[in-house]
Amino acid sequence: MNPFPLVLATLRRNRFTAILFVTVIALAVALGIAISAQERALRLGSARAADRFDLIVAAPGSQNDVLFSVVYLDPTAVELLSPEMTAAVLNGGRADFAAPIGFGDNFNGDPVVGTSAEFVDHLSRGLAEGRLFTRLDEAVVGALSPNRVGDRLAIRHGHADGLSGNDADAAADAHEAGEDHVEAEEEPGHSHVDVAVVGRMKPTGTPWDRAVVVPVEYNWFAHGMGTGHLPGETRIGAPYEAAPGVPAIVIKPENLAAAYGLRNRYRTTESTAFFPAEVLVEIYAVMGNVARIMSGLTLAAQVLVVAAILAGILALLDLQRQRFAVLRALGAPGSFVFAVVWLYVGTLIAGGALIGLPLGWGVAAIVSRLVARETGVAMTAQIGIAELALVGALLCVGFLLALVPALLTYRKPVVEALR
Amino acid sequence: MNGLAGEVGGLVYSVGAGPRERQTIIDLPALDVKPGELTVLSGPSGSGKSTLLYLLAGLLVPDRGRIAWGGEALTGMGEARRDRWRRENAGFIFQNFHLIEELSPLDNVLMTGWFGGFSTRGLRSRAAALLERFGVPIERRRTSLLSRGEQQRVAIARALLFDPSLVFADEPTASLDGAAGGLVTRTLREIADEGRTVVAASHDPALLSIADRTVRLDHGRLVPATQAEAA
Repeated sequence: MNPFPLVLATLRRNRFTAILFVTVIALAVALGIAISAQERALRLGSARAADRFDLIVAAPGSQNDVLFSVVYLDPTAVELLSPEMTAAVLNGGRADFAAPIGFGDNFNGDPVVGTSAEFVDHLSRGLAEGRLFTRLDEAVVGALSPNRVGDRLAIRHGHADGLSGNDADAAADAHEAGEDHVEAEEEPGHSHVDVAVVGRMKPTGTPWDRAVVVPVEYNWFAHGMGTGHLPGETRIGAPYEAAPGVPAIVIKPENLAAAYGLRNRYRTTESTAFFPAEVLVEIYAVMGNVARIMSGLTLAAQVLVVAAILAGILALLDLQRQRFAVLRALGAPGSFVFAVVWLYVGTLIAGGALIGLPLGWGVAAIVSRLVARETGVAMTAQIGIAELALVGALLCVGFLLALVPALLTYRKPVVEALR
Repeated sequence: MNGLAGEVGGLVYSVGAGPRERQTIIDLPALDVKPGELTVLSGPSGSGKSTLLYLLAGLLVPDRGRIAWGGEALTGMGEARRDRWRRENAGFIFQNFHLIEELSPLDNVLMTGWFGGFSTRGLRSRAAALLERFGVPIERRRTSLLSRGEQQRVAIARALLFDPSLVFADEPTASLDGAAGGLVTRTLREIADEGRTVVAASHDPALLSIADRTVRLDHGRLVPATQAEAA
């Protein structure tokens, strides 16, 4: 039995309708694939982004807000840890390092983040170019930053405007000379210091890739809070003898036991401590539920599309009932007619599904790129088991539903259709 | 080629839903079809000639009665067996040819080979030879570009692919002009002369004139020979 030439002939007979049906199915499938692949890309991208932030300590409050501020540099207002608590955490021990994180400024729209050179090195796994900062007025830029090593950046509190540099240079000189506080002309209480870009980080897949990373001492100094060190001290980095409060501290515990120990130690009335993964797991649980609901709805929509198309196909096949009756009159077994119709309908569904799969992947890839551009979180849309299962489920349901027109055509009285 | 002999006895076929609404379409006490003859079922429109042809081909199932070909009772067979019997023993020619336009003339002839149950060895050369015999150029790619006469000759070639002993033809010349109809008529005569049993439903005088036997029907009943001659 070889029904394929007649399947092809039937497809050719209504080629425009066939193309329309395949297109509609492909679009429905692509939508489902795009949602599923995008959700996973978002999950994997956000998890990868948080990977180097081992343990975060912050003031009591929303861990989600702290996570989004520290890892994704989302400009959310978070409470500061008290200076006492900050000092306790920074000097708490059992860690390879404890890096204060300060933010709130930006340069040409890109975030300016203050932290320690150790954390930059840890986050970036070594630099792509240049060296780590060693002075208050030096900066390292993220891999995607438009700024280059050697550039001088005039950073202003909360603004992206450039600065003439005269005041900033004076402030830097003052710091070098051991003076703690320089008043700015435009914004009382804030000091402006030009920073020189001395290094570029490797890609981290986080919004830090676009950031200008400065010593945390710069943040404190620029906001009129001293340098975090004793008066007259010009070095940067730990230990911080006079650290003011900070929004968060990222700790790299020395081992697993220390990680849990420090987390428990800093879960107090004055601070909270958490592993980013545990917060992400909760977020993913909600996202997962939503994704499951959306996947279910998408599959239901796809089945409805297939069912609607089957109704169209039934009408189309009814117009061709004489053709199938002729086959029977010529001696074709019912199974042959059944196979022709089933394969015809199946080809439309399979064609739509197989075109929809790469189409959905393409849409997800574009959306991922847009989201990555918007958030800075690197994400790659990939076709995984979930998407293949979605297409597989649609194919199973489609081929099952295709039995309906096949059975109806096969059962049609031959002579009635011949006349 | 040995054509099949046909025997019909006590054949009744009716349509309609309930006992009161049923209408008898065919009521045929007896009919013999001799092997290797061209038998034409004739009569005015609505006389039941096409219905009788479909009954003889096993496409319709009578209410009662017996139809047998070569001693094998068609009326005792289930649908699948009747399909198989038709596939193995009979060819069918339609008034409107019913070719698949998306297939080439050659593929239209080959089509019955795709149904399964046959060896397909040498079929392509046989199909080409049949087209050549009936004067249809095999290099033609598009069936829709053939003339109506050529299309009917492709349909005849399709019916003969497996060299059947029996050929049914439903109004085979009704859609053709005089010349094309004449060619098809002569072709049917030829294939009967090769020993096949040919049963055609037609009121074409040209076909009637070359038939070995004419069976006249009126309202589903046989018209006695004397009345038929008078008519």
